Formats: sequence, structure tokens, C-alpha cells
Amino acid sequence: MKAFDPVTLATPFFILTVILEILLARLNRVEARYEAKDTAVSLTLGLGSTIAGVLIAGVTFAASLWVYQHRLFTIPMNAVWAWVAVFLLEDLTYYVFHRLSHERRIWWAAHVNHHSSQHYNLSTALRQTWTGGVAGTWLLWLPLSLLGFPPAMVAIEKGVSLVYQYWIHTETIRRLPAPIEAVFNTPSHHRVHHARNPRYLDRNYAVILIIWDRLFGSFQPELDAEPCRYGLVKNLGTFNIVRVAFHEWIGIGQDLVRQPRHALGWLFGPPGWSPDGSRETSAVIKARWAAEQAQAAPKSKRAA
Amino acid sequence: MLSQAFLIQVAASGAAVAALVGLAAWARIARPLNPLDDATARFYLLEEFPGRTIDQLWVATDGAGALARSGASALVLCRLGDGYVARQIPWAQATAAAFRNGQITLDLADVAAPKAVIVLPHWPPADLAA
Repeated sequence: MKAFDPVTLATPFFILTVILEILLARLNRVEARYEAKDTAVSLTLGLGSTIAGVLIAGVTFAASLWVYQHRLFTIPMNAVWAWVAVFLLEDLTYYVFHRLSHERRIWWAAHVNHHSSQHYNLSTALRQTWTGGVAGTWLLWLPLSLLGFPPAMVAIEKGVSLVYQYWIHTETIRRLPAPIEAVFNTPSHHRVHHARNPRYLDRNYAVILIIWDRLFGSFQPELDAEPCRYGLVKNLGTFNIVRVAFHEWIGIGQDLVRQPRHALGWLFGPPGWSPDGSRETSAVIKARWAAEQAQAAPKSKRAA
Repeated sequence: MLSQAFLIQVAASGAAVAALVGLAAWARIARPLNPLDDATARFYLLEEFPGRTIDQLWVATDGAGALARSGASALVLCRLGDGYVARQIPWAQATAAAFRNGQITLDLADVAAPKAVIVLPHWPPADLAA
């Protein structure tokens, strides 16, 4: 089977659908909001990410080839069962990668770009990291090559995952039929993932199959009563592309210089961690919100 | 060494980005934002800083920002694009901020939000300057 890059093949589709979403929103046919500077940042990050990916591709592919040479099994690339297996295992790997990217600051530093828009539209999907290669999260996919999946097969499946993620970044599609919402990641589920409401923080990490979130307790459905507010807990105050791309890395650097003895916490603690607890992690925000809800509930019952 | 084909692909992608941004600007489909008034500024600030009390509030004369005192902190709200960004800084830092040409420039000491500019008739307020 000949290797191919699903992302390259899908690029014209990306461009055409962004055009379509903008035009349909302009004609009031769909619910979508685009702000020009925000769109410029998203698309420039997407372009930069492609360049960064090419620069690091040699290293990642060489590493996966080396691991493949020491594989445990030899899995054929032309067997249907092998594609089903790599689909499931790659999807699970992505779930782990994505969860780590939200729960540990060093990997959040690379992933935060993707969440930094206050908008949720198809251009947000292209707002990708420039520093994923440096963060080393690509190492998480090496066990697939160690198992015996050919590196090209893994690369194709990763591309399929990336392409799948694109179309779910939209407010245009509200809800899909229940059986689809039950099994697959959908625009509704992923809107929750991009929301900064305390209820929605750090939920729905899945890429294609939402079953991983249901299995591992990180699933949260979108509630009509609580519309998603998009962006970061502390939204960016700039459209400067360099600040957008590197702000969390710079923040880590500043913290390390100020308090090097807490290096492990600054690097591997959750985003918002600080030695004296003066900052807020998403767990703290969620706990405070839950306490407020619990306090408000008896009052509303009494009022009723 | 990057191939010529790759460089052509990057150049074409750059042109596509420019065209899409132009289209987004032309479409004028950003969120409609009315100038802030007291009520909306309070709403946004309390959404950003839940549980905090607002002792006093100054809304920018152009409606694009607000500054509130909350105990020893200043809560800052400023517009970015079609959204708002909030930060808190020590109150003393806010009162010491430079006021020139009818606006205060607040150093937010944050690489992700370096400064906020808020248009006010005067600053600091006479009764709170001490």
C-alpha cells in the first residue's frame, strides 16, 4: 500500500469550507463569528505549524523507523484488522496525548495556542502549535511502531485524526443524531472542550471516538442552559503572533528563573500551579464553582 | 535543505491565508459589541472574578474598557477584537499608572497581556488617590 498524507490531501477542503462558513454566516444562513485579526492569528499559526512539522519530521520519522526495527510483531499494512487496530490504538494514544497536554504545564505550553481564540469556527481548527516537536509529545506514538505497526501506517492514521478534528470546530452544526453523539466526537462535544466555563474545563479530550472520555470519566455533554464561552481561563490580551505562540513557554522560563528549586512543579505541575497556591489550576476553579453551585442550590429550592 | 516545491507550497499557503483574512474582514461577521456601561462592565468583571466584590468602578469613556477597585486589587477589563480580556493587578500599581492624553496605560506584567489602555476623563480619582 502506498503511503499518503491525509492532511495535504484535505488542505483544499479546509480552505473551501472556511470560505463557505464565512459566506454562509455573512448571508445569515449559519451561526458563525469571525474576527479578522483572530482569523489571521489562527491561520498564521496553522501555516507556521506546517513549517515546524516539516522541520521536525526527519527526527520523528527516524525515531519511529529505529523503534520499528526493534518491533515486537510484524503487522501487515494491507490487512483490514490491522487498520481497525491502528485506528483504535492511535485514537487512544491521542486521548492520552491530549489529556497530558491539558494537565501538565510543559505540554500545555505547546498546546495552549490551539485554545487561545475566543472564537470557535473552522479557522480555530487550524490554530496549531509551533512547538509540539520540541515538547516531545510525538514520543507517545512510538509504542505503536514498537508493537509492529509500520511508521507510514501510523503517520497516515495520525493524519486521518487531524483531518477528522477539523470539521468539529464549528458552531454551525448543533447536534447530530444520538447514536453518533454517543460514539463519536462531534462539534457539540468539542465545543465543550474549547469552553472556559468551569463546568466544561478539562473535558472531552477525544479525537474521533468519544468513548474514551466516557470510559475514563472526562466526558461532559454540552448543556443548552450553559452556552460555551471560548478561550482560556485568562484570555490573551494581544494578537501578536510571537506572544501567542510562545507566551506559556516564556511564562515557564520566568518562573524557572525566579524559583528554580520548584522546577519540577513549574514544568510538570498542572497549568496554574504555583508553590504557594497563589494561582489557580482548573481543579481549583472547578472546585470553587462546584461549591458555589452547592451553596446556590438550597437557596433556589427555598425560593421555589 | 527545504525543497523548492515546499517553498512554493508555503508561499501559496501564505497567499491563501491573506485571502481568507481579507474575506473574514469583508464579511463583517464579528460579534456585535456595544460600548460597556456600568452594568455590563460589572457583569463581565464578576464573570471573570467570581466571588469578588467591586468597591468602585470606572468605565472607559469610549466604552472599550473598565477598571474596578476590589480591596487591594484593581480589576482591569479591556477590549480585544470583539471580546474582552481581564486581569488583576495591585491597586497601588493602578493608581500609579501613567495618565496621558486622556488615557491610562496599565502595565499588566503578563507576557500574554502586556498592557491595557483605558480612556478616562482623569486619573487617579481625587478621592482615592491617597
